[in-house]
Amino acid sequence: MTRPTAKEVKATADIAGVVVEPEVATRIANSIGPVFDAFAVIAGTLPFDLEPATFVRVQTEKAAR
Amino acid sequence: MKTEPALMSLTSVAQAIANKQVSSREVTQSCLDRIVRWQPHLNAFMAIEAADALKAAEAADASLARGARRGVLHGVPLAHKDMYYEAGKVVTCGSRIRSEFVATTTATALQRLKDAGTIRLGSLQMAEFAYGPTGHNSHYGPVHNPFALDRITGGSSSGSGSAVAARLTFAALGSDTGGSVRMPAHFCGVTGLKTTVGRISRAGAMPLSQSLDTVGPLARTAEDCAVLLGLMAGADPADPTAISGPVPDYAAATRGGIGGLAIGVPTAFYVDDLDAEVAGILEATIAVFRREGATIVSVDLPDQRQLSAAAQLVLAVEAAAFHKRWMIERAQDYGPQVLMRLQNGLAIPGVTYLEAVRWRAQALAAHVAAVANVDAVIAPVSPVPAPTIAESDVGNSPDAEAVIQRLTRFTRPINYLGLPALSIPCGFTRAGLPVGMQLVGRSFDEATLLRLGAAFQRATDFHEREPKLP
Repeated sequence: MTRPTAKEVKATADIAGVVVEPEVATRIANSIGPVFDAFAVIAGTLPFDLEPATFVRVQTEKAAR
Repeated sequence: MKTEPALMSLTSVAQAIANKQVSSREVTQSCLDRIVRWQPHLNAFMAIEAADALKAAEAADASLARGARRGVLHGVPLAHKDMYYEAGKVVTCGSRIRSEFVATTTATALQRLKDAGTIRLGSLQMAEFAYGPTGHNSHYGPVHNPFALDRITGGSSSGSGSAVAARLTFAALGSDTGGSVRMPAHFCGVTGLKTTVGRISRAGAMPLSQSLDTVGPLARTAEDCAVLLGLMAGADPADPTAISGPVPDYAAATRGGIGGLAIGVPTAFYVDDLDAEVAGILEATIAVFRREGATIVSVDLPDQRQLSAAAQLVLAVEAAAFHKRWMIERAQDYGPQVLMRLQNGLAIPGVTYLEAVRWRAQALAAHVAAVANVDAVIAPVSPVPAPTIAESDVGNSPDAEAVIQRLTRFTRPINYLGLPALSIPCGFTRAGLPVGMQLVGRSFDEATLLRLGAAFQRATDFHEREPKLP
């Protein structure tokens, strides 16, 4: 996973229906870039069967007292 | 009984009203008198409803005289963050966009407090749409810290922290999606409980992130938070994410000793790059817990930077999704920083967002394994005491992200894991600024946190220190 460029940010936002100016896209790319970098270790490593509701099971069965 | 009723704790004033040592009207008038004196300095209230509050207090006194006590908080006046819907009331959510929004339903948490007999004083300021950690609000102005008026309160429950600290209300609801209960508690010297995701119904509470949002109280003591949690917790047909099952007796838990409990001290991340005075107060706090009988052990936690990143991915996308229509139709009505942060969510691909949501189970399981031998983990709420309003007024400038990241570094990972955390006042800097620490517990084990917090407050008086008007 790599951090998005300003050009990619603008395209993604446009597709979402929220048009942003190029300078805003640059600002967004700079702002969220470190988040992508930090999550890159996790991205693409998750097991096939792991689905979001597993969190509730872990929360109520393993983590709770 | 203290001569000024507003200075009492929530539980003390409720008992005094029940015993007819003081009337609800006297208590409400005492709060209103303080609000008149403090509000011009703090900007903590969004709306003050003095006449209605006094009328409700008189009605509460009349019903008590007839032997009818509505609940354990009969006649106690409170105010809450202006994001909890109350039918017929304007609920601004700290925004221009909702400045005239009139709720048609009442939030479950709020209704349960009303059912216990509380009275409404008005509504409290907050960061716009609960999306800001400082207490700045570009529409309604910043909220000021009662301990130092040039300092921030923290956000997003800025008015809640400020008003509770200044003894304008005995307690207040906040919400915590990325630290919004704990940071105002830390900066303003009050007690704040971030509850487990699912512990309190979110029905009728303004949404920001469906995965991370939690309802929680700010009050003067852990005991007060326990009483409020006991009233609000439990299943709710209006919110299927609120868990069923019996609600523990949280107030009883606060009366227990802490001998035999183990507190974990992280070996990294939460102890890195701390302000020197915050570091010193952390050490002193640990010493108090040890003296009170807790066992202190070191814990190696998984990489918290990844948890923080995942939290930001989830929050950014979910917030952008909630706000997308207004981002298209009313972008000019947002404050610059809130719009900037909402726009961040537009750039995150769906697959990345869902990976962040899916990883949550693995991350929580890893955390549980790391803290298997302790009952709670202690950490600073923020690496620094309250910055000045001026230095943190960064709007949507290039510095904004760095300021936000620094303040919320220690709170976001806990939100991602959905865990409960209690922020308690643990000391003051030489400049007189409050410093809080968070006790992080196991899912749905708020009782142990409240027990630890109450024991600490029996041994110290930081929670009793009152700010003074200049």
